[in-house]
Amino acid sequence: MSKSILSKKQSNLSTQEENSSLKGTFIFVMSIGSFILITWFIVFFIFVGRI
Amino acid sequence: MHLHKYEKIWLIFGVGSLVLFLLVLGVSAFAFGHQPPSHMGKVDSQNLAQDPVFSNPGVTQINETTYQATIIAQAFGYEPSVVEVPEGSTVIFQVTSKDVVHSFTIPETNVNFMVTPGHVNMATHTFNEPGEYLVLCNEYCGTMHHMMQMRIEVTPK
Repeated sequence: MSKSILSKKQSNLSTQEENSSLKGTFIFVMSIGSFILITWFIVFFIFVGRI
Repeated sequence: MHLHKYEKIWLIFGVGSLVLFLLVLGVSAFAFGHQPPSHMGKVDSQNLAQDPVFSNPGVTQINETTYQATIIAQAFGYEPSVVEVPEGSTVIFQVTSKDVVHSFTIPETNVNFMVTPGHVNMATHTFNEPGEYLVLCNEYCGTMHHMMQMRIEVTPK
């Protein structure tokens, strides 16, 4: 019984650590992704506007 | 397989972007007919004088508003060096090179393609604004590359 509580606590702790450790990565991945998408669409609309 | 919640989000974002780009590419290629400037046309770059098309470079009228411009690029200029078309005309450019790789670039338009010896490269543009358009080479082709240019004169109706 006590063992299972302990392991549950440990797994909660490790999930929390994972969340916090990926937050910076997540922000960076999404900002680089958004940058690529936005610049691609700017160039695409320049191309379409000149047809 | 365990995937972190954030990993799932950015994988969906990445795959979604890829699908979006491929959709845009597919629609513009198959529905609007956009294609690369090479139409698989070939020509003997050593004997352009004997070629039925390129032995007589210049502009020919196809119909009321469409013209075909046959142009030869060579170090360091284009033949002919001036092309004249009326305002509102659609010009189909077919260009080849006599010697090395050049380019055919009309700034501020979508006409910008490589001109390779042995191949016929094409682009189409409609000139709605009268004026003088500059054509430049943007592939380094030799010591006088920066002087290589021609003009397209679009005359008012």
